[in-house]
Amino acid sequence: MMNELVIFLILAVLLQTRIMDLRRSVYCLAFQSGLLACACLIVGLVHGGVHLVPALLTLLIKVVFIPGAILRLIGKLTDEREIVSDINVNYSTLAAAFFLVVGYVLIDGIGAAPASRDVIAASIFMILTGLSLMVMRKRAIMQMCGLITMENGIYLLGLFVTEGLPLIVELGVFLDVLIAVVVLVILTSRMSLSFMTTDTTVMKKLKG
Amino acid sequence: MMESMFSIQELLDFVLLLPLAFSLLAASGFFKGGILHWADRLTATLVALAVWQVVVLFPVDSAIHDGFIYLDALSLWMLLILSLLYVAFSWTSKAYLERDTNIRYGYLRRFSHLEGRFYALSHLFVWTMMLVVLVDNMGLMWVAIEATTLISALLVAFKFTRTSLEAAWKYVMVCTVGICLALLGTILLYDAQLQALGSELALDFAHLAEHGKDLPEGLAKIAFAFLFVGYGTKIGLAPMHAWLPDAHSEAPALTSGLLSGALCICALYVLLRAVIILLPAVGVDFMQSLFLFFGLFTIALAVPFVVVQRDIKRMLAYSSMENFGLMAAGFGLFLPLAAKAALLHMLNHALIKYALFYLAGTIMETYATKNMMRIHGMISQAPRTAFFFLLAIVGILGMPPMGIFFSKFYLLQGFFMGGSPALGVLALALLAGMLIGILYHALRMVGGKPHRKAAGELLGRLDTAVVALLLTVSGVCGALLPELGKFDQLLSEAARIVMKGVA
Repeated sequence: MMNELVIFLILAVLLQTRIMDLRRSVYCLAFQSGLLACACLIVGLVHGGVHLVPALLTLLIKVVFIPGAILRLIGKLTDEREIVSDINVNYSTLAAAFFLVVGYVLIDGIGAAPASRDVIAASIFMILTGLSLMVMRKRAIMQMCGLITMENGIYLLGLFVTEGLPLIVELGVFLDVLIAVVVLVILTSRMSLSFMTTDTTVMKKLKG
Repeated sequence: MMESMFSIQELLDFVLLLPLAFSLLAASGFFKGGILHWADRLTATLVALAVWQVVVLFPVDSAIHDGFIYLDALSLWMLLILSLLYVAFSWTSKAYLERDTNIRYGYLRRFSHLEGRFYALSHLFVWTMMLVVLVDNMGLMWVAIEATTLISALLVAFKFTRTSLEAAWKYVMVCTVGICLALLGTILLYDAQLQALGSELALDFAHLAEHGKDLPEGLAKIAFAFLFVGYGTKIGLAPMHAWLPDAHSEAPALTSGLLSGALCICALYVLLRAVIILLPAVGVDFMQSLFLFFGLFTIALAVPFVVVQRDIKRMLAYSSMENFGLMAAGFGLFLPLAAKAALLHMLNHALIKYALFYLAGTIMETYATKNMMRIHGMISQAPRTAFFFLLAIVGILGMPPMGIFFSKFYLLQGFFMGGSPALGVLALALLAGMLIGILYHALRMVGGKPHRKAAGELLGRLDTAVVALLLTVSGVCGALLPELGKFDQLLSEAARIVMKGVA
């Protein structure tokens, strides 16, 4: 069960690096978060009780609210066309493949329990790929997707290393992710008003 | 005294509830016109009085652990700094907001309905910082630090100009990545706790600090590295500092003062808590090299940027980086003297830097430009602003009348006492470079012949008094420290807590 989930997660993240359309990228993100919610649910069912709360919150916040808010924002943008740069996309896919290898090398170096080896490697892969998406993508919304991917990776790691953080901390983390997306959506919509685009490369006035 | 009928717990609840209540009311538009400003002042002053009362009542060598709230000398020291800046903020905000009429940089006057929102966000920002220093648990601290980033990002972008949007975007992106690494570090720390101590009192730092020796060494080292990089980003240590000059220079002047004076040292406080926990397992050498290297690297990187700087608030931002670098290096010496000096430096730097950012905002309004190259002859066009600006600059550079002289002096003494005189000489040389750069710009602005029309003297009576008071308090705290009884005890005890693992 867990193995299939991990395979699908890696697939979803690799797909994320290929997508250039804003809407599809958000759908892909929702799919990835949905898989994370399933993983959460499995861990929750094993341990029972309060462990089900994070699964429910992941579903509500990361699968419903965040993609919904971003999609609403995309509806308001005036320039939906993606700036096509194939090279960039190919590079980030290659980088993602490399990160998968890095994940396994790291995990074998540390020497984790074989049961959770794949999951932890996948989460390292997600963190690094999310980071590379934030650096390599130009559009504000794509960078947001990268950020959520990275957050999901850290969450997955926490889920399998320590069975999640204490509940009160976990609730706080969810609250922060929620506020972060609200703040980023506000900034992006103002950006599209001021600059007539959400391409972050136009913002290069502040230097030195 | 009147308030001594309350216990410390009640006072802390009060401190944590009042700003929140005010910001909710202000955001909902409950206060109209002048009442808003008075409610703002009343809130901050009451909170500061309550904190002062806590300082009076609190037995310095004890610790209060009540629910999720934890208070010892170190957190009380931070709370004291926060409350002083909070009062300074509330008594200067009206003058700042009403003066903000300039077409290029002003915004609020033309949209006076936004004042309520500005107050709401600012008080919420201070409230989250108070939460950082009062919670008992590394996980909740992480949550509070991330909340400060998000709320202050809205304040940085408050004017929604192109440059402020750019600064806010960079700020959120860089700091969130950094803070995510700190979350990774927190998870690893929790894993170390689970392996060594079990899940009881999860991530509670008092509990962890007591059993620091039992944590597995390898895991503790990785966790500390992640925590250092993560919170180091938020402090503004060198390779991860990209957000700091942008955010500090583009935010409204009041917010810049709070960012520089309070927020970055809150992140440093969290890092210190991690140091206290992990020191026995990780060992002094590893931490010392991290702190000293990145601290001095930060100073070294800030110096050239100050010398070639044209934007007045960016210059101040780089000066903040220099001071954070010095504090980090000071804690990295792991000497009681240096730790005490670094804690005192936090207070002095906060007070003087808030005054400086406020004055820089005033100068920007007076001359309708941020470019220091276009400002000359302030002493004849705006004498009072020029006088206090020069005084504060002299203060931040660490010259005798101001408190920073004493804290910097003790810090450097720490370098020479700690068996690393070479590093002390290096730090001195870097500080001298900083001094030349900043003094060159400041003297050019203050002296010379005026070339440009100015709006005249904009500094009013009330804000002059606040700025003068900030400078005086810093001077008194530095110079008369041994005579200040309780205050000195509090500081020594805070330094002892930081150095717990060494002795």
